[in-house]
Amino acid sequence: MLTTDELERYDRQIMIEGFGKEGQEKLKRAKIFIAGAGGLGSPVSMYLTAAGVGMIRIVDHDRVELSNLNRQVLHWDEDIGKRKVNSTLEKLKQLNQGVEIEAIEKKITEANASKLVADFDLIVDALDNLPTRYLLNKTALDKGIPFFHGAVYGFEGRAMTIIPGKTACLMCVYRGAVPKGQFPVIGVTPAVIGCIQAMEVIKYIVGIGELLANRLLIYDGLHLKFNEFSVKKDPNCEHCG
Amino acid sequence: MSVRINIPHIFHQFTNGQAIVEVNGDTVGQCLNHLAKQFPGIEKALLDKSGKLLNYVDIYVNLESSYPEELAKSVKEGDELYIALMLGGG
Repeated sequence: MLTTDELERYDRQIMIEGFGKEGQEKLKRAKIFIAGAGGLGSPVSMYLTAAGVGMIRIVDHDRVELSNLNRQVLHWDEDIGKRKVNSTLEKLKQLNQGVEIEAIEKKITEANASKLVADFDLIVDALDNLPTRYLLNKTALDKGIPFFHGAVYGFEGRAMTIIPGKTACLMCVYRGAVPKGQFPVIGVTPAVIGCIQAMEVIKYIVGIGELLANRLLIYDGLHLKFNEFSVKKDPNCEHCG
Repeated sequence: MSVRINIPHIFHQFTNGQAIVEVNGDTVGQCLNHLAKQFPGIEKALLDKSGKLLNYVDIYVNLESSYPEELAKSVKEGDELYIALMLGGG
């Protein structure tokens, strides 16, 4: 049941046709796992918190650095040197006290991934490297949890939604790791992609619209173009084949 | 067959800033070879030493993945190829 305050707070989205109080109640019951509290994790967690999901567990093992601040809008000057999860918890709590936020300082590894995501309704990929993305992709598939992928570089970004057993997975599309290293990025790129991921999450929970399933969305900020590429489940995929 | 290849921004350094390059070929591989003939610097960014597509490069033909045929996938006049690089950042 929604409280009087919640009905007022979420009034504008409850007004949306197909969303309603029922959609808001579904959001309130949702438990979301977000991997990463950086460039993508900032907009994803902020918009999902603002939308009134029930619970967010966000995991990151880094500290805030000055060079993060062009894009990681959860973290401010005063947070430099703090654990990102602590900075995240402070900001999201101020944004919406009605959402349960659990911020865990941990590196996601093969040994802990399954336990970290257990009992969550969906997983958001807000990571900064492909090996951990592959690990979470596999974990999501093994546990049957929908996986919301996003990635950025410079002015470009990608988003795709993976529904285990039904759609192509990350490994069907990405067959190798890009060479390691620092990546260039303008803050608006993860803002765009992170918001698309948050939109996908909300649609999935509420059960409206059409997901980016079997569709890889590629955003080119320099030319302001969105291209949508059709992808298919690979029968020989190492993860889902 | 005349085919247009859409070059990702990061590869514009190899194509003198061109975002779209016209090439000829009957397969994806032939088109990429023709691209590399015009702009030799791009070859190492697309193919490994044995001539296989690097595993972080994907080619889409008319917005559909060329996988699993990849370089062997046939193309026809007017087709549009997209080079898409896997991204790791977040």
